[in-house]
Amino acid sequence: MKTYDVCIVGSGAGGGTLSAHLARRGVDVVVVEGGPKVNTRTAFNTHAMPFQFENRHIPTMKPGVPGFDSERSRGVGGKTMLWNAVAWRYSHRDFKGYSHDGAGFDWPIDYPDLKPWYDAIENEVGVCGNKDGLEDLPDGNFLPPVPMKCSDEIIKRGAAKLGIKIIQVRKATLSIPKFHRPACHFCGNCMSGCDVVAKYNSADCHMIPALATGKLEILHDSVVRRVATANGKATGVEFVNRVTGAEGSVNARVVVVACACVQSVALLMMSGIANESGHLGKDFIPHFTGGIQAFLEPLIGAKTTNDEGFLDHAYLPSFMHNRKRDYARSFAAQFNYQNRRAVGWARSISGMGADLKRSVKDRYPAFVLFSPYGEMLPNEDSFIDLDPTEKDQFGLPAARRHVVWGDNDMKIFHDMNYWSTAILKASGAEILSVSPTPATNHEIGGARMGSDPRTSVVNAQCQVHEIPNLYVVDASVFPSSSEKNPTLTIMALAARAADNIATRLKAREI
Amino acid sequence: METRRENLRILAAISATCAFPFSADELFGQQQVQPTAKFLTEDELKLVSRISDLIIPTTDTPGAIAAGVPQYIDAVVAGNATMQKHFRAGLPLFGPDFLKKSESDQLTILKPLCEDSDAGRTPAGSLAALFHDIKNLTCDGYYTSKIGLVQELGYNGNMAMGGFTACGDEVHEH
Repeated sequence: MKTYDVCIVGSGAGGGTLSAHLARRGVDVVVVEGGPKVNTRTAFNTHAMPFQFENRHIPTMKPGVPGFDSERSRGVGGKTMLWNAVAWRYSHRDFKGYSHDGAGFDWPIDYPDLKPWYDAIENEVGVCGNKDGLEDLPDGNFLPPVPMKCSDEIIKRGAAKLGIKIIQVRKATLSIPKFHRPACHFCGNCMSGCDVVAKYNSADCHMIPALATGKLEILHDSVVRRVATANGKATGVEFVNRVTGAEGSVNARVVVVACACVQSVALLMMSGIANESGHLGKDFIPHFTGGIQAFLEPLIGAKTTNDEGFLDHAYLPSFMHNRKRDYARSFAAQFNYQNRRAVGWARSISGMGADLKRSVKDRYPAFVLFSPYGEMLPNEDSFIDLDPTEKDQFGLPAARRHVVWGDNDMKIFHDMNYWSTAILKASGAEILSVSPTPATNHEIGGARMGSDPRTSVVNAQCQVHEIPNLYVVDASVFPSSSEKNPTLTIMALAARAADNIATRLKAREI
Repeated sequence: METRRENLRILAAISATCAFPFSADELFGQQQVQPTAKFLTEDELKLVSRISDLIIPTTDTPGAIAAGVPQYIDAVVAGNATMQKHFRAGLPLFGPDFLKKSESDQLTILKPLCEDSDAGRTPAGSLAALFHDIKNLTCDGYYTSKIGLVQELGYNGNMAMGGFTACGDEVHEH
């Protein structure tokens, strides 16, 4: 049986990036993906409308097309197929949160360690944005930014009255044709798959081009149930076929677990490894969001225009980290990323009859959704574990998420609702609703990176402390979440880990 | 020059591989689902139809009935055991002759329920709670229908655009 240089579990932002970077260096790579091959040009209901379906819910996949049927079997490309492509660099403050405000953890690396890899990723996938010169949101090598929507401009002026800056969003979506990919055509369906690959996905932008090296193999429909180890080293993985249940395995000199935060932690737990610190599954710190629904009064009664764009075009960067506050960390906000195909707020408009109809129609062009994202601090009660009884369709233990909001989290939550509401009011908005409780979003933590093997799971290179040839490369290793969207940092970590793995393989260290 | 050539090549690729529904609007009509009664009885469906049509009536655009809202409500209720109980127990409380009443008499019954519903005064088992469900489903169903979303609200997204126009640069020639 063949022994690969590297076996990567998962093919999303982490695994997909890593596989291409390794293959380009001449490393023999196999990617083991739980889901099927998914063709983004044909597989998703990208352009469907709700009234094509009796229950008015648009299914992710076109009829009869497999994929995205479970967390363990999404398909090649993973969540990058359906992400919204927001792409921030983390800043020095994000990497050194503990040093900054005495709570949570520092990363064992800092911005300069990751900067060359952010550069590399932006240069190879294309990120549009504006160089804003903000210390807390490092600039990169951007394609031209996309103009803001009228509603964004209104919110920008409102925020400016409070001394708060709104910037253009940065997305891994092409604003000009590049890399043999077309520019975005602003159909507004980014999160239903992008059928022209203007938006980055790891399958089309990293893995498929890397197949030309002849160094990359992809095993589809192979749900990994265990990382095999012998004599303190990883030797490969064992998997079951998603469709037939047949068992299989691959051997490799290096194993990388990159199957999305919670599932990566679960796989390590199912394998009974990587927990000498006793910290595997701990320090689970998903982003939490609030949500304010509002109507911008200057747009109430306006003519409906097609401003779907590529969902959100603007962003409220963190500002509270520079202001007096009674909590650690901070928040930021995405807004206006609703799709005008969804009018779920109509049921909350009061009245009935022709008046109700008129109220909804008038407000339709004016609706905005404001979604602040807060940074959670780790606590004892928030962790990932395996369900002792419940099994999934593959007979594997289901992963469980336990999240309890701490005092600091709730202070941020109330403050982000306060400021979001204040900005909207300063923009002349009628507030429809403010979500009363935090909701979890981007999953982060559970296999924390740190320099001390007694308190962390992986080292600064994403290598499991006690297993020299086992790596974990996704958001599970983040020691702190920042309030910024995590994907570009996952990709930069993957590129950096690939360099480390290729170098160590060449030196015959692993 | 390189960029222009790439653009042309890509445009050709897009037109060959993608369908943009709004450039072929008739596609929608063909795919619209034909409803069949699922849970509600004929009389219940008539009552729900009337109430939904009073919530979203025909004005200069068609209302709830034309948009297939009653069938949507029936389909949702058919898939939800709790709602089945609420509808079966609650609908008779509108009275046996609700449908025979004049529109203004019907509205006299419904408007207070709507006010209670809007104010969140919807104790379990109350008529206001049932009205709340019917209003929610009526709004959901209407504004996800082609009539509600496209004809009434003017949804015009889901198109391939040449670029994104900055605010203030719109062409004012509607």
